[in-house]
Amino acid sequence: MVSTSAFQIDLPQALVERVRRGDVGAFEQVYRRFERPVYTLALRMLGDAEAARDTLHDAMLKAFQRADQYRGDAPFWAWLRQIALNEALMRLRIGERFIMSMEAAGLDADAFADDAPAPWAHADAQLLEHALAQLPAVTRSVLWLYHVEGYTHPEIAAAMRKTTSFSKSQLARGIARLRAILDPEMLDPEIPEPESEVESCPLTTT
Amino acid sequence: MSAHDNLTLGEALRHLPQAAPPSDEWMLLRERLRPASVRPSALRRYALPAALAATLAAAFVILRPAPAPAPATVAHVEASSSTNGATSAQIHNAQNVANHDERLAQLQQHSQALERWLRETGRDASPLQGQDLAAAAEIENLIGLVDVELAAPRQTRAQALWQRRVGLLEDLAALRYSSYRLAAGSQLAASTRID
Repeated sequence: MVSTSAFQIDLPQALVERVRRGDVGAFEQVYRRFERPVYTLALRMLGDAEAARDTLHDAMLKAFQRADQYRGDAPFWAWLRQIALNEALMRLRIGERFIMSMEAAGLDADAFADDAPAPWAHADAQLLEHALAQLPAVTRSVLWLYHVEGYTHPEIAAAMRKTTSFSKSQLARGIARLRAILDPEMLDPEIPEPESEVESCPLTTT
Repeated sequence: MSAHDNLTLGEALRHLPQAAPPSDEWMLLRERLRPASVRPSALRRYALPAALAATLAAAFVILRPAPAPAPATVAHVEASSSTNGATSAQIHNAQNVANHDERLAQLQQHSQALERWLRETGRDASPLQGQDLAAAAEIENLIGLVDVELAAPRQTRAQALWQRRVGLLEDLAALRYSSYRLAAGSQLAASTRID
């Protein structure tokens, strides 16, 4: 799968070196470039603007404080994205949005790869965002990490401290739910509605 | 069917506009930026338990059947030392490479052993709470960052990264060891209780 994550911004080596030495001016340049990718990732995962803002703040703070630990082997964007992902996942856990009962056995993403026109092909951005917002946070996170950020199932499973089959089932469930929301005629009675309390649960962000 | 019909979900999601925070967070963040090169202070109190946990993990490795030595490294050294025309510099260089590979293999083996130990003791340990839970999450996050660098296709500082990974796993083992010891103590107390 080809990933075109918004994080994939290459930085000049000299800028990274200045950040590693604790240069605040250099870090501001990094911040300005990655502010939106970090905020967007957090918002898509958490579904809450305030929590996404806190995630942005804390992720950037940690990135600056740990910059001297960055060895330069992986791209800086991948390193920063991992920090942002960790921060968002921590908030998911704090908000107790990990609903184990969501784990569905026997659902496979390939089961939905039929020839019917995909409803998201005709949905405008607002409609698609609205549909995404209706998914449980964990399901939406898996969907986003897999399809947009290009993480593999084992990588998602490791980050979420779950199994690979959990990641796969969440992805399948997310795709099915999106189809059903965007095209209600395709609603599969076998697929239960997401648990509403998950989305109404306010995040604890301290 | 138009080309638009073939839009995959990934493409549709990537076409969504990026979100922007409602206010300029930089001004708030700037006030808190202070370079920090020291490890979290919460981890320092685990120095002794870390050593203990590392010892336990080492014992775990010793008691397990040892994997076969890496043949490539051995062959490399033998080939280097038996070459008649090789200069001492070449031999020295080959030995350095062999030593480096051997050290790397040791670190990787140690890392695997620690992970195995954590996995196996984790089943019996009490759940971490409070400060320990926060410290464990922090260590796991740092391990994730090391893994990002280790996953790079052409990373050049593998030994330093593996060394750091092992150090972090030892910190984590120290945390889990305390919890494991508590759980074991509780079980012992329960089994020896006289009613």
